[in-house]
Amino acid sequence: MVSNAAAISDSELTAEVEAWLDEHWDDKNRREKGTDHLDLKSWLGKLVDAGYSVPTWSQDWFGRGYSGKQARLIDDILKSRNVVGRSQDRYNLGAVTVYRLGSEQLKSELLRDMLTGSQSCLLYSEPNAGSDLAGVRTKAEWTAGPDGGEYVINGQKVWTSNAKEATYGMLLARTDWDVPKHGGISFFIFPMKQDGVDIRPINQITGESEFNEIFIENARAPARNIVGELNGGWKVLQTALAYERLIMGEGATERRGKQKSSVPPLVELAKKHGKIDDPVIRQKIAQATAYRQLNSLNMKRAKDEIVKNGSSSLMSLGKLAMSRIQHYEAQVAAEILGPASLFDGEEFKDSADMNFDSAKAYMNSIGGGSDQIQRNIISERILGLPREIEVDRNMPFRDVKSG
Amino acid sequence: MNEISTEDRIAMRQSFARLLEDQAGDQALRETMASPHGFDENLWKAMAEMGLLGLIIDSEYGGVGGDAQLLEDLMEEAGAHLLCSPFISTAVLAASLISASSDESLKAELLSSICDGTKIFAIAATDESGLWTDQGISIRGSKNGDIWTLEGTASFVLHAEKADQLLVFAHTDEGTRVFLVDSKTEAVEVQKLQTNDPALRLSKVIFSAANAQPIAGVDVTAIGTAIDLAKVAQAGEQAGGAKKIFDITVEYLRTRYQFGRQIGSFQALKHIAADMLIEVESAASAARHAAKMMATGSPEAKTFVSLAAFACADAYRDVSAQAIQLHGGIAYTWEHPAHLYWRRARTGLWLFGSSDQHREEYLTCLEAA
Repeated sequence: MVSNAAAISDSELTAEVEAWLDEHWDDKNRREKGTDHLDLKSWLGKLVDAGYSVPTWSQDWFGRGYSGKQARLIDDILKSRNVVGRSQDRYNLGAVTVYRLGSEQLKSELLRDMLTGSQSCLLYSEPNAGSDLAGVRTKAEWTAGPDGGEYVINGQKVWTSNAKEATYGMLLARTDWDVPKHGGISFFIFPMKQDGVDIRPINQITGESEFNEIFIENARAPARNIVGELNGGWKVLQTALAYERLIMGEGATERRGKQKSSVPPLVELAKKHGKIDDPVIRQKIAQATAYRQLNSLNMKRAKDEIVKNGSSSLMSLGKLAMSRIQHYEAQVAAEILGPASLFDGEEFKDSADMNFDSAKAYMNSIGGGSDQIQRNIISERILGLPREIEVDRNMPFRDVKSG
Repeated sequence: MNEISTEDRIAMRQSFARLLEDQAGDQALRETMASPHGFDENLWKAMAEMGLLGLIIDSEYGGVGGDAQLLEDLMEEAGAHLLCSPFISTAVLAASLISASSDESLKAELLSSICDGTKIFAIAATDESGLWTDQGISIRGSKNGDIWTLEGTASFVLHAEKADQLLVFAHTDEGTRVFLVDSKTEAVEVQKLQTNDPALRLSKVIFSAANAQPIAGVDVTAIGTAIDLAKVAQAGEQAGGAKKIFDITVEYLRTRYQFGRQIGSFQALKHIAADMLIEVESAASAARHAAKMMATGSPEAKTFVSLAAFACADAYRDVSAQAIQLHGGIAYTWEHPAHLYWRRARTGLWLFGSSDQHREEYLTCLEAA
């Protein structure tokens, strides 16, 4: 039975969720009760139909119309019981975008599939459109056909994680070249599993390959897969990006939660390498720990404000703050290790970890909008400062210089 | 401590803000700074009438019975308005130390004189090292029969010239004790020290066999609590001051035009503003959380008081310094308030210990956790 958000008390909700899980979920083996392995699609279907995967969404679309606070209550229970598929209304970027901004037709066609295991990836950045994302040059050309016709897509995308696994790509493509850059972009849900989509992994400075380049040649997307208006893709993107930044900023508190001891890892490292009594190192460890602690306190305040007022400007500070935290922690770790920082590999695990972390820190400070873009956003949206003048803002896109 | 409702807390903060706007605006503030004793007696009386001086004093002695959270909240307002007064030494440090005493008649007498604003206390807590720790005490208390006398020098004593009585930290054969000393005797020499911040009143105080009354029941634990409370109060003041000068600066970035555009549209400036916002909000989070931990008697209180002590001091220093830079020439003038915030921020870097000391203490607390 689906309970009414206002009517149900927190304790009733807790009891209901716990009882449902007792019946359906095997905590220990992390699978559906009565099965011998986790059938993800089947399990997610159950969780989605119960309304526990996207509790803040409306009852028409797999949700329960619950408040953020009630959703967090459910999330806490699911998390504590190792349940797969919790809080997709916060973490499933593709589904959130379609739910918030897609047409009714698109929602009925895609939402359930997206919530039950079909993954999505981001097709935003291009080699010549990074921070200046409105400068995308991937071309989408309409051709006639049944059901509104379709678009033929040509271009190159970059920094796409999860591309091989994804069924859907959230694609930003240019549909009008004769208007200024922001006004000629459309946002597509693009089928990834088709001819003309070539996925090539990127070798990153960390030694990992999480990201890919995507070469798109004469691939297709149905016209009905446009999210929002034709040529209204920029607005859709802003909403999608806001969700992405929210998730990245929250990473801070989530990661901290995993830490077993309350003693900072840098203290352990300094002890191990005989630097714990070095007063200069101690100052730096304290400062690095403070940066992380202060960000956690800010994020806690943000969450309290969201519960109380529905929103918080503090939330958007998290990602920028995280850049300083990660770069500084890696720097202090290097200073603790001293000349041994030059080593790497299995034999020098601490050095290898530090070297990895110092490269990985750029993931936060460049990815998902660089620190410089974050500072623009904070100063414009929170502080109300004017935008920097952009020379190409009102020019037809085909006349804009690129390179 | 009494229960104070959120509504009462908000109302109290609002009326404090109104009082400061009415009686301690820019011109009044500058007159107060230039006055011999560095505070406005009428404002002090008004603060007493509003119950602010007895903020943390129990209601049985005429106070409000508020906790660290109420104190921190109101100090944000004091910081925003650059309040000049012996508030921290009298209504925080002295109030906290005397409240810890086991001598009921002394408490009744002294605490009520703090609440009604009739007495100002100065605290001789540290020597010329400015450490604000037990190692930083170089006054010696000795007992001859029933008579205690003090010998030695204290420095960084706030508002000593105007104080009616001094509370003096001294080492004795019985450990560290706190003594009540009449400041208007020959045996106590108060030397005024010139300061960079015109709002600041500091003195060196020399005790030459000065008669002193030990305050019964006040030990190192009580001293620690009083200093922690002063750190929380100052952290709140710093968070409030940083926020205010930041708001003034952002407003200037919006309204000042150069090269035909608002200067806040230049990324070279707006990016600095974004970084400053992180500092401003972090200071507020740190000060409020420390206050909450103290108010609830959390075992982590010391950790978070130390964190707030350096995080807020450093944030205020950086934000107020950038505020001058972002304003440009106008803030290089004495008339502009930016330098007053900058000076106040520099003051706070050293009172009740340095940021380096607080960082060390923070790490020590974390290691012990």
